[in-house]
Amino acid sequence: MSEYVVEAKHVCKSFRGIKALDDVYFNLKSGEVMALLGENGAGKSTLVKILSGVYTRDAGEIYYYGKQVGHIDPQVAQELGVAIIHQELNLCPHLTVAENIFLGRELTSSGLLSDKEMNRQTAELLEKMDLDLRPDTIVGDLSVSKQQMVEIAKAISTNARILIMDEPTSALTSKEIDFLFATINKLRNEGCGIIYISHRLEELKHIADRVTIMRDGKYILTSEFSDISMDEIIANMVGREIKEKFPRIELNRGKKIFEVKNLNAGRMVRDINLELYEGEIVGIAGLVGSGRTETTRAIFGADPKESGEIILDGKKVTINNPRDAINAGIVLVPEDRKKDGLCTRLSISENISLPNLDFLCDKLGILSSKKEERLVNKAVEELQIKLADVQADAASLSGGNQQKIVVAKWLARNSRVVMFDEPTRGIDVAVKVEIYNIMNDLKRQGIGVLFVSSELPEILGISDRIIVMCDGRITAELDRNEATQDIILKYATMFENKIQSTKEA
Amino acid sequence: MDLERKNFWKRVITKRGMGQVITVTFGLIILCAVFGVINPIFFSQKNVGNLLRQIAPILIIGIGQSYVLITGNIDLSIGSVVGMSCMLSATLMTKGTNPWTAVFITVVCCLLIGFVNGVLVAKFKLPPFIATLGTMTMARGIAQIVNNNYNTDSIGDAARGFRNFFYYGSTLGLYNAVWIAFVIWFIFNFILGKTRTGRHIYAVGSNIDAAKLSGVNIFSTTTKAYLVSSFCSCIVGLIICATSGMGTMDAGNSYEMYAVAASVIGGVSTLGGRGILLGTVIGASIWGVLQNGLQFAGAPVAIRNIVIGIIVIVSVLLDIVVRNDKLIRRKGLMASAKQKGAENA
Repeated sequence: MSEYVVEAKHVCKSFRGIKALDDVYFNLKSGEVMALLGENGAGKSTLVKILSGVYTRDAGEIYYYGKQVGHIDPQVAQELGVAIIHQELNLCPHLTVAENIFLGRELTSSGLLSDKEMNRQTAELLEKMDLDLRPDTIVGDLSVSKQQMVEIAKAISTNARILIMDEPTSALTSKEIDFLFATINKLRNEGCGIIYISHRLEELKHIADRVTIMRDGKYILTSEFSDISMDEIIANMVGREIKEKFPRIELNRGKKIFEVKNLNAGRMVRDINLELYEGEIVGIAGLVGSGRTETTRAIFGADPKESGEIILDGKKVTINNPRDAINAGIVLVPEDRKKDGLCTRLSISENISLPNLDFLCDKLGILSSKKEERLVNKAVEELQIKLADVQADAASLSGGNQQKIVVAKWLARNSRVVMFDEPTRGIDVAVKVEIYNIMNDLKRQGIGVLFVSSELPEILGISDRIIVMCDGRITAELDRNEATQDIILKYATMFENKIQSTKEA
Repeated sequence: MDLERKNFWKRVITKRGMGQVITVTFGLIILCAVFGVINPIFFSQKNVGNLLRQIAPILIIGIGQSYVLITGNIDLSIGSVVGMSCMLSATLMTKGTNPWTAVFITVVCCLLIGFVNGVLVAKFKLPPFIATLGTMTMARGIAQIVNNNYNTDSIGDAARGFRNFFYYGSTLGLYNAVWIAFVIWFIFNFILGKTRTGRHIYAVGSNIDAAKLSGVNIFSTTTKAYLVSSFCSCIVGLIICATSGMGTMDAGNSYEMYAVAASVIGGVSTLGGRGILLGTVIGASIWGVLQNGLQFAGAPVAIRNIVIGIIVIVSVLLDIVVRNDKLIRRKGLMASAKQKGAENA
């Protein structure tokens, strides 16, 4: 009798002739959190998709509770008590919480849906999980983190014994992450086996019992978490040592490039004032929903402004839409690459040239394919984007390389100010460092760099000056020497004290 | 030089939707062969000329619909704009307007419908299905009202030049209607493939948010596609008017769906972002060959409709099956190779 609830041996899987998994070994005990680590494209997602029956393995043996299981499809996996919480949420946004939780196994009495009973059971479940949610809320109205909780609740409601979480924290704020970890710990104590995939290594110390590391589709090692150091983990993931997680270059602050005065745009952007100088990187910190993304979008002209001035190189510029901003030399690398950054059905080359067609076309608007080719090749080379063919669909690239394409399309033109919104979300350590180096290059060239990030170590590690936002306002501007995680968090949670003011009034 | 040529072909084949274009081109060749065997007259010079003239209007509206489909929208007003164009031009001519003035006025009016479509869809964010359903009904109403709910009389001798230009005349051995279709295809194919506007059209259909943040003007791009569509519909209306020599109120009935069929058979995705106008040529040709060939084979209209309906479904299905099949075959090979490897070990 095996002590493992899941054990996989010699698992192989290829896509179009490319080996995604090569002789992979994996195991999981009940009542533990196993962190599955590796860079993008290491095969973590493929492995868990095989375990949960989304993909069929080409070869290898899989044991559940000590018994060998041949064919696995999603139904079989569900019967085995395996539930997967995907990177992308799999909920129907138009249905309620209860409807989503009972989707596909609705309770009925004499052929009619028993909504009352389903809502009651859902309420019970949510209460058990300490979730402040109503069963009849429409899922689409919830924040991403709440939706994720609904997804976890759904998994638990199927009596899952083996829970797979693929990057569950990538869209959560630190407070929400604490809550998620509490939930995970509770599930572990109840005897669930949890496979946890994440790029945020600093999270591991809070939850991981053991780690399995993969690289390039191969199994590298499994270890007790307490027996392995963070540096060893990184070295094994990357295959080489990364010297500096946050490379920083020191430059003297030059002249003022860019200034935003009294910018207002809806509730999330209120009276924003900020400045950018040559030779510095300015980081914007804050909780998710603090108005950071909205601020960059308003500056860029993607959303309408109510009032405010934008001054570039001493001259006032009018920005009513993204085209105005681009022409003035202000660009934005957006947050959600799948939604806002890439046209996944267009080729890599077309994606890179899309914002640059103004100088790739002649006066009649006819595209010069030679110029385009030159521009694309230069960008691919400079950013070291790994790809087979620039004519392939952008969707065919891994997450890190997709992010590089999104960055590349904006660096191909000479800009004065580059704004990055969460540039390193969901990408691995090595690519993160490459992105930081790109930002440093811009800084060296005297281009203004403004970047939004939810990862405090990154904010502290890369920026020269830090702006903290809370609830649509700037609550602090800190020099990097005076900033610490605690100070930033203090300002990031400086909500206007509404309760007191109503009392007084 | 050799390498350059290789790159060129690689580019052609990896071009969006080229796979289905190749598949359906084989289908077209087979269809032609079958009809040629059934009835040798099918390949006679006279019939080929007729066939091309039959294909021309379907191709033209197909081009318009392809533009709109690639932006991720749909244009249901095509058929009604054809009718409106036909009635408007004929009515003006019977009232004694110079034919070319009449053509000009008609084109302007039809473009107005395209502009309204663009405004409704891109500015007011109406679902394209609803917006163009509205303009479709309106345009048909206009077609009926311009001559007080009657078809027009003959547009007469004064319009001989007009009729020759759009239909009866021929240049270098090809009917003018075919030339018009070719010129329209050539121009719009160039715009779609080689200009900034074309690239923007693909980008909007592929990911409207990414396109907007890349500085693409969504409103003007979407509106341009609808303008192309209504322009193409207008030309077809004029061709129909020239053909019959009068205005008929139900001209172009359900052409919007024929246009969708021609586009989709040719590999244009109704989800946007994918497709090329070469595909639309093949799609329209399959349509025309079926109509013409089945007519020759003595099949009644009802049977023709059923066959064409099946072809629309099969052609798209075929593309999906071919793609899946490739994957399955690869998987099979992989598995057997693995097994062999395991046995050897």
